[in-house]
Amino acid sequence: MLRMPISFILFLFILSGCDHSSEYEIIYNDEESIDVTTKPVEDKKDTYTIAVIPKIDGIPYFKAVEEGALEAGKDLGVKVIYTGPPTPSSEKQEEIITKLIEKKVDVIAVSANDPYKLGRVLQKAKRKGIKVITWDSDTNASYRSFFVNMIDPEIIGRHVMDTLAIEMEEKGEFAIMTGSPTAANLNTWIDWIQIQQKEYYPTMKLVEVEYTNEDIHKAYKVTQNLFKKYPDLKGIIGISTVNPPAAAQAVKDAGKIGKIAVVGTSTPNLMNEYLQEGAAQTITLWSPQKLGYLTVSLAKNLLIDEFPYDGQNIKNIGRIKFNGDIVIMGEPIDFTKGNVNQYDF
Amino acid sequence: MIFKGKKPIQIKNLRLTTKLVTTYTLLTVLPMALLGFIAYWQYTKSIEEEVGEYIPRLVKQVNGNIENDIQKLETLPDLIYNSGDVMAILRDSQSKKKSVLLHDEYIMKSYLTRTYLNNNSSHILGAFLISKNRTFASTSLHYDSFGFEDGSLPYADDLGLLGEMQLLLPNQTNLTFEGDPSYFMLVKPITDFDNRKNLGTLYIAIDVAFFEQSLQDLQKEENVTMWIMNKRGKIIYHKDHSKIGSVEKGIHDYPLLNGSFRTEIDGKRNLISISESNELPWVLVHSMPIKNMTEKTDVIRNVTIFVFILFTLITTLISIFFAWTVTRPLNELGDIMKRVEKGDLLVDIPIHSKDEVGMLANSFRSMLAEIRELIQKNYHIELRKKTAELYALQSQINPHFMYNTLETIGMAVEEGDSDEVVKMVTLLGRMMRFSISNKESLVPINSEVQHIEDYLSIQQFRFEDRLHFMIEKGADVVNYYIPKFVLQPIVENSIKYGLEKRKEIDIQIHISDEETQTGEEDLLLIVSDDGPGITESKLIELNEKLRLDPMMKRDSGFGIINVNARIGMMFGEQYNLQINSEYGKGTSVIIRLPKINAQQVSMYVQGEEKNRDDTKGQDGHCR
Repeated sequence: MLRMPISFILFLFILSGCDHSSEYEIIYNDEESIDVTTKPVEDKKDTYTIAVIPKIDGIPYFKAVEEGALEAGKDLGVKVIYTGPPTPSSEKQEEIITKLIEKKVDVIAVSANDPYKLGRVLQKAKRKGIKVITWDSDTNASYRSFFVNMIDPEIIGRHVMDTLAIEMEEKGEFAIMTGSPTAANLNTWIDWIQIQQKEYYPTMKLVEVEYTNEDIHKAYKVTQNLFKKYPDLKGIIGISTVNPPAAAQAVKDAGKIGKIAVVGTSTPNLMNEYLQEGAAQTITLWSPQKLGYLTVSLAKNLLIDEFPYDGQNIKNIGRIKFNGDIVIMGEPIDFTKGNVNQYDF
Repeated sequence: MIFKGKKPIQIKNLRLTTKLVTTYTLLTVLPMALLGFIAYWQYTKSIEEEVGEYIPRLVKQVNGNIENDIQKLETLPDLIYNSGDVMAILRDSQSKKKSVLLHDEYIMKSYLTRTYLNNNSSHILGAFLISKNRTFASTSLHYDSFGFEDGSLPYADDLGLLGEMQLLLPNQTNLTFEGDPSYFMLVKPITDFDNRKNLGTLYIAIDVAFFEQSLQDLQKEENVTMWIMNKRGKIIYHKDHSKIGSVEKGIHDYPLLNGSFRTEIDGKRNLISISESNELPWVLVHSMPIKNMTEKTDVIRNVTIFVFILFTLITTLISIFFAWTVTRPLNELGDIMKRVEKGDLLVDIPIHSKDEVGMLANSFRSMLAEIRELIQKNYHIELRKKTAELYALQSQINPHFMYNTLETIGMAVEEGDSDEVVKMVTLLGRMMRFSISNKESLVPINSEVQHIEDYLSIQQFRFEDRLHFMIEKGADVVNYYIPKFVLQPIVENSIKYGLEKRKEIDIQIHISDEETQTGEEDLLLIVSDDGPGITESKLIELNEKLRLDPMMKRDSGFGIINVNARIGMMFGEQYNLQINSEYGKGTSVIIRLPKINAQQVSMYVQGEEKNRDDTKGQDGHCR
């Protein structure tokens, strides 16, 4: 009688005992929590074609950009078409872009010679489903997805002014030589150069802004004219990469080394000799290859619907800045007599 | 409950104690056991589920932390770009003087030390930078045989890239450190982003303790094993360092890579919690014996079982005690009843509780008292009755009376007074018949009056003018009944005492009814004489005696008291005999009786019938 409940309990124990079912018994499944974005996204196409259009073909700066762009194309497995006009004209760029639209490229990345004139053709490209970004020199914001800028124009403008002020001991007359009058990036830099001068260097005077249209020969002539026109000229800022070497050559040829300071933006390879000789003092730039590489990388990302974001780490580039509209690649590099040998572009 | 045994146990035949204890046990132990067991079972199950959900989350978090740490490491090489000196050395590959080379080496070494060894991450054992056939190294321990050639990464292992880095395990390199710590290596090519050229390769050797700092909290627990492996099962880190580099084949059978599942490892049940890394190509696994979780519950279980046993003991004791408290009085009562059965009516019942058993005992007690009382009452009534009858018989065949009567008859015969003789003999005969026919103890008033009249008449023949009597019937004497021989002893007394001291006596008998306060009618028989009376003290004593319990033993020859006792016993105490007397003047005895008609007679005679059965045959030949 009394054994009944006990045996009943025992029976229950046995009944509910550990149920060794399958070899693996899932207790908690968290598979959904995996971030979907980290899964490799299937490419929509086998290969993308990204067209990169510089302001002008054939000058060392844009050649270096091409190297970087092609390198990125190889790394990322995309086809890169690098083609630019022989002169820095927006009309020529328009023609090139029209042809590229016919080719049905996936992205057009352009360094614009004019912020407005490319509007029509870029909008047409957009209508055809082609993504448009700008690099190096921007267009009106409505024509493109975003602008890949190599540096903050304020930083470079103010910095170039400073490098000249150091050489001229903060006094005297100086001139600016730039590329085409419509190059948005160069014009912005010139604005910042002037702002910096007005703020900090009242004893310095900007006498002239000359346009050399990315032509090294024209630049050489312009420099000579400046010497004639302004005998008290103490410094030249060359923005657009062909201007500083032309100016430095002119200074050297005129025997004015040490008398007229040459600073600005150009490539180390163009300026190496002049820096060693002292015909130019400080040249500021970024790595154009890096810019090419970054442009293609971001274009590729855009194709898989990935917009850049602030602090994004781009492979083989590093971290970038992004404010929702403009990407900034990094800080400028100063090339001087001391370090110019380290660089090869 | 039916057992298919030889002897089916029938509940109704079980002893009450067994029933009670069993009931208690079933009602307490069984639910407790069930409740405890179900609660425990549910508890362990919920713990398992909770832990099974909680640990994967922890593991996931830890995995995230490791990921962050690795990413921090990943960004360390980028610091190179911020150091102009270092970049200059790395970019410059021209042959230089020995001193310059050594100086470069010094700069590099101090840079590596600053950046990697003095960094917060103390787990970095060393950093090696190979650039253009130059090796720059900075280590915290002595090392041996670092054998990498510039840019020649060891066979590209499927460990995959950690971001832009490759991961090498110790068994893939010849590098050993002093004290032989386990380490893994992160390999990162240093690219000159500006010149777009490869500058060299950076190797960072990291102690596996790097993982342990993140895992230590989780690994603290006993028997917990954690490891990191790639998705092909190659173990990158294992708590047991010797397993680093081996392959865990089971990974292909895992049902999931995020979450937790139960499985058996070496026959023991284990909870495996697993989390896949978001950025890195590996999974972090946490394996723990299920026993670990249930260890705490085992304590609870043991405590529960202990408490359960304790409760069971207590409740069993309580139930036994209760059963005992219920059955003990019952048993006692049973024993007492057995004694009563054997005839001992004077038992004491020591049960005074207020419960049912107490009530039962009370009932039994009062029943016993009743029985005793009844026995005594009947016994005494019977005794009295027998005495009364004896007395009546004595009266009826009183030798003195007979002798006297016969003598009187004889004298009358001698005198030739035949009329008187006939009368006396008739009277005597009638008296005899009345006496003999004492079948009924209640007789119509008429008969009793007749009898007393006969008696007085016979005595009158004897005493002649000395005795006078008068009977007045003021009530219905035909339809009402009274006990036999109630009058005779009183009348005898009157004659006896009266004629002892007086020359004459006059006896008056009144029969009347009187309405009582309750509205009933009583019968009053009053016998009064003018005899010598009774002294006051004697009267008080007498009346006292009458008021006393009629059951008391007393001088049975004392007829009056006997009669009183009989009346009291038959009809209750309100019916009795009262003596009023004035010394020297006379005495009157009042007998108060209920009015009993023919239908009511049976009520009073019932119990006596049996006793009469043996006398039945005797009256046959007297008629």
